[in-house]
Formats: sequence, C-alpha cells, structure tokens
Amino acid sequence: MKAVTTISSATYGVVIVGSEDRASSSLVLDSLMSGYQQADEEAARALIEKVSPLLLRYFWAHASHRRFADDLLQDTWMRVHKARHTYRRGEPVLPWIFAIARHVGLDNYRRARRVETRETQVDVLPETAASSSNVVRDVPDMDVILAELPASQREVIVMLKVSGMTIEEVARATASSVGSVKQKAHRAYRKLHNLLTSGVKRQ
Amino acid sequence: MKPDEIDKILAQAADRPLPPGTGRVAMEHVESAILDDLRPVRPLAPAWVFTVVFAALFAAISVGVASVLGMHGIRALSPHQRFLIFPALLAAAWFAAVGCAREMRPAAGSHLGALTLILSASVFTGLFSLIFHGYSTQNFVPEGVPCLVIGLGVSISAGLVIIYILRRGCVMDWSMAGLAVGVLSGLTGLGMLELDCPNLKAIHVLTWHITVLVGSGLLGYTGGWVADYFGRVES
Repeated sequence: MKAVTTISSATYGVVIVGSEDRASSSLVLDSLMSGYQQADEEAARALIEKVSPLLLRYFWAHASHRRFADDLLQDTWMRVHKARHTYRRGEPVLPWIFAIARHVGLDNYRRARRVETRETQVDVLPETAASSSNVVRDVPDMDVILAELPASQREVIVMLKVSGMTIEEVARATASSVGSVKQKAHRAYRKLHNLLTSGVKRQ
Repeated sequence: MKPDEIDKILAQAADRPLPPGTGRVAMEHVESAILDDLRPVRPLAPAWVFTVVFAALFAAISVGVASVLGMHGIRALSPHQRFLIFPALLAAAWFAAVGCAREMRPAAGSHLGALTLILSASVFTGLFSLIFHGYSTQNFVPEGVPCLVIGLGVSISAGLVIIYILRRGCVMDWSMAGLAVGVLSGLTGLGMLELDCPNLKAIHVLTWHITVLVGSGLLGYTGGWVADYFGRVES
C-alpha cells in the first residue's frame, strides 16, 4: 500500500491523492512505533520491515548516498533506536524517522567530503562498465533527472515522490515551514519542466 | 513536454526496482541489533513541559543571581522603563524556550534560534536606544567589563543547565540547538543585568548588555558546531 502525493501538473499546486490510504498507513505505523517503545518484538520487526524499503529508496535516490545506502540504513535505525523515547504517540511516524535519516545522510556527506579532500588519487582509474543489474534502462535514474536541481529542492522532490510523504510531513522532516516546502516543490517542478522540455526539443 | 509527463517520469524513476538484495543484509543486521537491545522506554514529556521548564530556569537564574548581587538595576529604572523592558524579556525568553524545546526531538518544527537572536537583538537595541540616554564614554570600559564578565558567566552557567536538560531528548543538529541554548542563556544574562546593573547610560547598556545576548548566542552556535564536528569525527 503506497500512499501517493502528486503535484498538480496544470498549476504546480499540491494535490494529495490517496489520503485514506495514507491515514490508515499512518495509524498502522503509529501503533507499531508505540509497540516498539514498549519493547514489542513483533511491532519492532514489522516497523523495520515496513519503513526500511522507504529509507533505502530515499538514500538510493541521492547519488552521493547510493554507495553507502546499506550503511546509512543501519546508522539510521541505530539512531532511531537511541531516540525512540522522543517519539510521541499520535504524531506522524514517517517525518520523525526521515528527520533522523536526513541527518544521518548529511553527516555521511560531510564526513565523505572531508575524507575526499584529504585523499590524493595516485593513478587514473580505468572506466568501468555499467552495472549489469536488472533495472529498467528506458527510464532515467532519479538522480539523473534531479541532478540539475539545488540540493534543497532535490530533497523535497525525493521525499514527496520517492518516500510518498505529504507536504506537511516533508515540512516536519526538514524542519521547515509548509510554505517553504511548497515553494521548493513549485520551483523544482518549474525547473524540471524547462529542463525536460528543452531536452525533448533537442532530440 | 507536457507538465503531466514530469509526474509520470518521476513516478517511473521512483518505482524502478532496486538491485536485488539491496539492503537485505543491512536489514537483518538492524533487526538482530535492535531486537537484542529491546527494552521498554518511557516517552519524553510533551514539548510544552520543557518550554515551561526552560522559561522557569530563565526566571529563576536571572532573579536568583540578581538578588544575590543586589537588585540595584530595577530600583534605578522608572516604572515606565520597567513596563517596557521586562515583558519584552519574558516574551523573548518564552520564544527562545520554545526553540530549545523543539531541538529535543526530531521533526519537532523549524529551528527558532537564529530568528530569536535576530529579533531579540533588534528589539532590545531599539528599545534601549529609545528609553535610555547618555553617550558619554567616560569610564566606558571599566564600568562595562564587569557587566560583560558577570553577564557571560551567568549565561554560560544557564547554558550548561539547559544543555543538561536538552540531553534527555535527542538533538539532531547541535549547531542549531547550541544557538537556541545560547540565545536563551544570553537572555538570562541580560535579564540579570537589567535587574542588577544601575548604570542606565545608553552607550553602556547598548554595548555591554547587548553583547552578552549576542555573544552568548554566537558562543552557543560555535560550541554546537564543534560538538557536531567532533561527533562526526568520532563516528
């Protein structure tokens, strides 16, 4: 059951689709999270299995996080485990977990950048062949599509489109206002529209 | 390209299957690590409880220290000046306390530290310029340094107490949390100075008292940034 948030193509305004699905999904996550706080093994296991694919997709959608996706998933859950007492029943679970995931990603990015600045490449690496995974090749990668967007707009689009969160949830997860998230989504859509349109014209 | 197609492309890209086995091992590790360490936890008190606690700390520390040093400042102020300064201090401290409480849990709302610092520094600069007079620089430094030292000393002590409470939660961004703590503790130092310091020269209050607020905010931010940096290095 995947809750879907779309941004209206005509106006670039925000339209929430599947809000009933989302509400029931949110209730399920809420009760699982409460069970997890009370040391219910089944609830903890179910929560990990329900949320981990969303977290993996979130990390996978950022080119800078992709090769660390598994490590980032583990780091995120370890921090969730340490911080589980700060969740309050009735509040949306996904923004709470994604706020943690976002910081894990940011920390990883800063750490990786610091390491890269101290590294010296001793030789030119040979070009490697593309991975032979069974991914569909006619659809471009999310990070290829979003590469031209500023990081803040990219993050909003990934949370909306990949993680299926609402505007309000994204605002909570990114510690910003609903207006700011709407503005970033609107600008991102306008930019994507221009980029994709010019791409089609060139072809 | 029609705008509809952007949605379609993004949805298709988002729905692309991940390479098989991605995250499987990580999920197994996570499950075993979490299940091994599973024990009940008591949820943190609501944010308003911590807001009240932080605001009470502001009042208790500033009044407590000023009563030890002497309430010379409040006696020197006219009723009109008291009516303008103390409600503004309380309002700013409440706002800063909300900002500190927000830093204690993930996804609790936008950061308020920077906004509180800018607003309170502007409001108090404007307010003090309006209600105080006197720009003579006679004894400017000898009279000012004790205020700065005592004000920052109170701020740092208040900041340490606030950080102790803040650690009961889970701070995501120590730079922003440090800024929020710095502003609230700076307001505590400023409040104490307004109660204690009888020097009502505009140049004295604008320079040394406001510096306590701004300096404490910047000190908090720097401390938080250092904590974040070394936290990353250690991990």
